[in-house]
Amino acid sequence: MKAKPRIGIYGLTSCAGDQLVLVNCEDELLTILEAVDLRSFVMAHSDNPEGELDVAFVEGAVTQESDLETLKDVRSRAQILIAIGTCAVWGGIPYLSGMGTPLSDHVQVDYAIPGCPIEKTQLLKAIASLLRGDLPLSLPHPVCLECTIRENNCLLQAGEICCGPLTAGGCNARCPSLNRACFGCRGASHDPNYVSARQILEKHGFSVNEVRQRLALFSGKAYEKEGTQVG
Amino acid sequence: MARIHIDHISRVEGHGALTVELDGNTVRDVKLNLFEGMRGFERVVLGRPFTEIPAIICRICAICSAGHAITAHMAVEKALGIPVPAQTELLRELAFLGMFIESHSLHVFALALPDYLGYAGIADMAQDHKEVVTKALQIKKTGNAVQELIGGRAIHHVNTTFGGFGKLPSQSEVRELRAQLANCLTDMDGIVELLAGLSTPDYAGEEILFMAIRPAGDGYGFFGDTIVFSDGREAPVDQYKTAFQETESQYSNAKRSTVDGLPFMVGALARINLFGDRLTGKAAEALAKLQIPVPSKNALYNNLAQVVELVYALERAIEICDQILAEGLKAEPLPEVIVRSGQGTVATELPRGTLYHSFSFDDNGLVTAADVITPTALNQASVEQEITNLGTSYAGQTEDELQFLFERLVRAYDPCISCSVHIVQVKAEGRHTID
Repeated sequence: MKAKPRIGIYGLTSCAGDQLVLVNCEDELLTILEAVDLRSFVMAHSDNPEGELDVAFVEGAVTQESDLETLKDVRSRAQILIAIGTCAVWGGIPYLSGMGTPLSDHVQVDYAIPGCPIEKTQLLKAIASLLRGDLPLSLPHPVCLECTIRENNCLLQAGEICCGPLTAGGCNARCPSLNRACFGCRGASHDPNYVSARQILEKHGFSVNEVRQRLALFSGKAYEKEGTQVG
Repeated sequence: MARIHIDHISRVEGHGALTVELDGNTVRDVKLNLFEGMRGFERVVLGRPFTEIPAIICRICAICSAGHAITAHMAVEKALGIPVPAQTELLRELAFLGMFIESHSLHVFALALPDYLGYAGIADMAQDHKEVVTKALQIKKTGNAVQELIGGRAIHHVNTTFGGFGKLPSQSEVRELRAQLANCLTDMDGIVELLAGLSTPDYAGEEILFMAIRPAGDGYGFFGDTIVFSDGREAPVDQYKTAFQETESQYSNAKRSTVDGLPFMVGALARINLFGDRLTGKAAEALAKLQIPVPSKNALYNNLAQVVELVYALERAIEICDQILAEGLKAEPLPEVIVRSGQGTVATELPRGTLYHSFSFDDNGLVTAADVITPTALNQASVEQEITNLGTSYAGQTEDELQFLFERLVRAYDPCISCSVHIVQVKAEGRHTID
């Protein structure tokens, strides 16, 4: 990649939380801004020249015509398009309400950083990889693995609806480490074992509907595909 | 007839456009179009269990998500009669203050200050004003540190639960946080001096009508039970439906709110106008130094009012840390929740103004009605009125100058457009009503 890659940061319909995670990198922000050629970041900057981009980060779900126009325009100008946040990756809560769809329904997505919001560490690692000319590594493991490594008490075994076994890792088991069950905000992990998780939850007296409803909160689309297994 | 159109207002959260029609020296029409896509949060929560409501609702907005999450918890607790210990209330206030520190410093330094100093954004501004920008980022970071510690995450808190928290902070974590807050408060001295030297553009306007929640007790604050307008009107929070009127807009995805046809403003300037005399210590000093005219006729001063509140939030957060360090935190068992039907309405003051949450539940604790009114939606009519006043005052200026001023005024309200647009479609489809 060039010495200063041309970067654009865009928000479709969203809470802006993933763009805010970037703005919240207070210690790294000025260094990042010096290392890149920021071509567009409307939330934080006036005077955005746009044009050709090396990397575009896109947050949010597609809920209206103008979102789709923006997305297609950005895609046509960007070498690499990265979906940031669960809304962009899975459709998130807008998908649940039947109002939004993920980016990959409409354009090619080169890399996905899930999370509601995304984790700062994963974003910074991704930016560092891109600056070296590499695509960032995917994280294939679920939250449950990170939770086990942290030696937390298992909330699932304690009888709570914990989405940890099925949810994409990368948060270092943030919620279970606070004694709070995983809500699945990072969306489905790679190749999760739905059948086993459902069996454990059923054993603790949760109905299939309760389990399905909770799993559908952030990445309903992932479980639709596997609907028969979840149900 | 001249027409000034800004198709995407920059340095605000979300997507908004502004159209102003000028006829000679007269402003004929102003339309603020908040065109962020609808997300239907109030529809999503219908039929869902009360346990999920805060986690869903806080996704309306990232910048004030702590406010949404805590207010939603409070509304559910009220509806289901869940007792909330004083310690929980104190820690929630601390989390709120963290949100204020983060949100106000983001807006004042990164989004609004470039207007005062003539830059396109914080990146350009940092080249010439690295010291201020570095200090500002540290203050913002400390606001996030408060939220990380109490809320478990800076954006979309996960540690808050009904009546309490998943995990309490340790004394050493609170001590470390207090030290960071104290450094920020010291840094604010110089920043207040710098800002006191900057001039705010003047324009001829009427006294602005303000609305805020009267803080419980004698001090300043963000929690209370009474809606207060600057013209003397008052109403209990649970009668918010009649305290002001919401109407759907033909051109915006957000509703307009007025009281007897009059626009009103919410947010930092509203609170300073209504309750600024309750401030003490360095916040009172900052208010005096920044010379914010009260009663206000100029909405642009909202930025300086945010600076006063930033000082207040740092001071109050230090006070709470000191209290925790002196008294310690008790590991209390979470209150037992008895699932039942009920209705709960709570209003709190967020960085951008008053937030209303109202939820009803059936016997199984499932949501039967939901209503959320956000500060930016409340401010929409006021923005349009102040743009009219500003445009009338500067009617002779070039289109570029007017465009800059208009955008600056919209930005002074610190609009959070994601917050404002979740409601209309649901209402238009008649999916639910609150009563």
